Amino acid sequence: MAEPTAAGIYVHVPFCLTRCGYCDFNAYAGMDELKPRYLSALLREAAMSSPGWAGTPFVSAFLGGGTPTTMRVEDLADLLAHLRSSFDLADDAEVSIEANPDTVDEASLRAIREAGYDRLSMGAQSFDPAVLAALERIHQPSSVRAAFGAARDAGYANVNLDLIYGAEGETLESWELTVRETVALAPEHVSAYALTIEPATPLGRAVAGGATPEPDPDLQAEMFMLACDLLRDAGYRHYEISNWARPGFECRHNLGYWERRPYVGLGAGAHAYRDDVRWWNVRPPEQYLSMVEAGDLPIGGSESLDPSDAYLEEVFLRLRILEGVPASWFEEARYGPFIETGLLEDELGQLVPTERGMLLLNELVLGLTA
Amino acid sequence: MSTEIAHIRNFCIVAHIDHGKSTLADRMLEVTHTVDARQMRAQYLDKMDLERERGITIKAQAVRLLHEGYELNLIDTPGHVDFTYEVSRSLEACEGAVLLVDAAQGLEAQTLANYHLARDAGLVIVPAINKIDLPAAEPQRRTQELASLLDCDPADILLVSAKTGEGVDELLEAVIERVPAPTGDAAAPLQALIFDSAFDAYRGVITYVRVQQGVLPSYAKVKMFATEVVSDAEESGVMAPEATPVDALGPGEVGYLVTGLKDVHHAKVGDTITLAGKGGAAEPLPGYREPRPMVWSGLFPSEGGDYSELREALDKLKLSDSALVYEPEVSQALGFGYRVGFLGLLHMDIVRERLEREFGLELISTAPNVEFHVFKADTEMVVHNPAEMPPGGDYDRVEEPVVFATIISPSEYLGAVFELCQARRGEMVEMTYLTPERVEVHYVLPLAEIVFDFFDQLKSRTRGYASLDYEPWGYQESKLVRVDVLLHGEPVDAFSSVVHRDKAFEYGKKMTERLKELIPRQLFDVAVQASIGSKIIARETVKAKRKDVLAKCYGGDITRKRKLLEGQKKGKERMRRVGKVDVPQDAFIAALRVDDKAAKK
Repeated sequence: MAEPTAAGIYVHVPFCLTRCGYCDFNAYAGMDELKPRYLSALLREAAMSSPGWAGTPFVSAFLGGGTPTTMRVEDLADLLAHLRSSFDLADDAEVSIEANPDTVDEASLRAIREAGYDRLSMGAQSFDPAVLAALERIHQPSSVRAAFGAARDAGYANVNLDLIYGAEGETLESWELTVRETVALAPEHVSAYALTIEPATPLGRAVAGGATPEPDPDLQAEMFMLACDLLRDAGYRHYEISNWARPGFECRHNLGYWERRPYVGLGAGAHAYRDDVRWWNVRPPEQYLSMVEAGDLPIGGSESLDPSDAYLEEVFLRLRILEGVPASWFEEARYGPFIETGLLEDELGQLVPTERGMLLLNELVLGLTA
Repeated sequence: MSTEIAHIRNFCIVAHIDHGKSTLADRMLEVTHTVDARQMRAQYLDKMDLERERGITIKAQAVRLLHEGYELNLIDTPGHVDFTYEVSRSLEACEGAVLLVDAAQGLEAQTLANYHLARDAGLVIVPAINKIDLPAAEPQRRTQELASLLDCDPADILLVSAKTGEGVDELLEAVIERVPAPTGDAAAPLQALIFDSAFDAYRGVITYVRVQQGVLPSYAKVKMFATEVVSDAEESGVMAPEATPVDALGPGEVGYLVTGLKDVHHAKVGDTITLAGKGGAAEPLPGYREPRPMVWSGLFPSEGGDYSELREALDKLKLSDSALVYEPEVSQALGFGYRVGFLGLLHMDIVRERLEREFGLELISTAPNVEFHVFKADTEMVVHNPAEMPPGGDYDRVEEPVVFATIISPSEYLGAVFELCQARRGEMVEMTYLTPERVEVHYVLPLAEIVFDFFDQLKSRTRGYASLDYEPWGYQESKLVRVDVLLHGEPVDAFSSVVHRDKAFEYGKKMTERLKELIPRQLFDVAVQASIGSKIIARETVKAKRKDVLAKCYGGDITRKRKLLEGQKKGKERMRRVGKVDVPQDAFIAALRVDDKAAKK
């Protein structure tokens, strides 16, 4: 575990080639003409906010989106250089960038890696064309294989593949194929997320209107258990509910969120956190731009966690990662039944969810903190 | 004693619902200049907002019309089966009744039921066909029908349009001519029949009375026979149509008395008022009966609602509703509430609506049930709440209330009517063809079957053409059992029901299937069972939930995830626990409500 003060930088890039039906992130297609202004704004925001973080050691940076690889490589290099000059980012910091298969090739990936982005997180989602279509992803399974090969050829030694399970029409067999194909590529890191229906998305509206069925939670549970088995057999360590990695390749940046370490957020809608205070930028890119261009910090809101909020976060975030929570925080009557029913394990005084328990994490959190 | 007794006529109008009774009353007020056209508002006599909206008359009232030297007291009668007793008391105050029939619709069940009540009360019937202005009116045909029912000369049947006023004068003439004047000795001890009572926030309990004999002065010490309460009456008067004080009400007269009482239960419909002390009558008028609730339902404050507010509201409502009875009830599923007794389904709806509208309460009500009499050896137990019914085998027999139902249907739907009545455990008493196309059928039916969507079924199976009326017909033994619904082995009191043995399985299956959909999945399999005693008759399983987790927790927006969890936490806190099972109150409400919805189909 990193030092409690070791911080992360999150940079949000809201541009995408197309908008996928399930996605509720702050991302937009068709706003490409804003990119030059957006880069300038990010640099300016970094300069404005960095004095407040003076003396804080940063151990990771994460360029997420959206699709950051839709930005020009020179701009990405420029951005990272500015982050390094604005914040105390360690030389050996983990620097991740998200990419979609169709936005990269070997040459661009080589350039990105040489610019200092040494960890690549690729949105593979599935190896079943029907599932990709249901998710409204524009790429094909073959593009994932091609992009992955390109990453290796470009020298990437730390690659994550993102997967989503439970889309309409996906069967357990199809999911097994996706996981097996993933394992065959041998990435260092795998994230597998159960498809969640967000109301304010086209998919959310389709489900609400009855046009698309809601994902079957029991099938998603089966899929989760299958992923656990296959990835374990392939030597991956299940270190967070939806994340697996070869030992030593756990995502340091994301661990920062779960360990409640500080982070600064730059870009439209980005969140920042330090010492039980969380604040976030305005979401609409235009508004973000105009505020930064006017010389204002683009803060859209904030909250100060009272002790009960902080406690709830601590419990639910720690239960997500293998570390778990100390049993001594709770009365035995609270966690005892969960151990009896095999949802929690007591590992030397730390309560850690079992795989079945991970699937019922909300119940565990509510049961423990009620 | 403003009017000579020979110049008094006391009459009422009886009709099937929507046959134009209230419109006719309005027109009479206008024709006699009791209310001038400017002040006229539709359905003048129906005071409560609720009545006006529903187009029905709940509270009987009397209004005095002066017409060509005669004092005509028009006594308005409630037009619904729930209020049969109140109707009978209003009829008791009259010597004649206008029997009003819609020229398009013809005879309906309530027409017949009311006609029989009026005839049995010894009233002179003045038959009239209303709505002759309607394009669909068939006055000739209706006249024939009515004449054959009454066995009278068709020429004696008046034709009116309450809407246009046509024929109303002639109808008033006929009332004066045909309805006899009341009789009564002014020198005899006072006997005044209470045919309605109401609670006024300023003046307390006001009774509407018909003086049978003696004289009822203003400012008198009066006694109520049934309750033996004595009070100082403050004012007597007549409704003309607003309250108008008089020195005294003489024999045969109809008016109101401001009793000086504060509780409507002290002056009950059907009771007799006399003077307190020596001048008082020795005997009351015959026919008094305590109001008897026929239908019971548990009322509970909905989530977060206040039990004490419900109690206060019921206490207040009771002041103006002498038929309302209630007893505290504790349900482990719904919390603290009341088991409330009603005269019938309409009364139940009205009370619920008044509680919600006038007192701003949000209520959950259990499915209505009737009163059961449970016999064991020499003891009799009265059960108002199915959950209190002893388990099967623990008693010798059970009796349930039955009604005498009058159904009028076009003959083409007769088969559908038979089928429905048979399915509802009815026994046919007799059947009469009113005309070749219209049939009058009488059944004795368990009230419990009527309470459960009978009327809606009758309407839907006869395309709305059949009409229904019924009156209480005592109790009869029946093979009834209590069906319990259990969650994970724990009975849920709110879902217990007393049903006929042959229908127990159907009820159990319906409830378990419904609850299976409504109960959220828990961390373990939940058995949803229906049982008779220890015997399980239906079972469903709510499978244990396997997945409840926020998939993605990433990008630093922890706030939203925490809020989702907090929301879930609040939801959990609001749940009721039945044994080990958490059930949201919404699920109880939905399970109880679907019943209602099914009933309305």
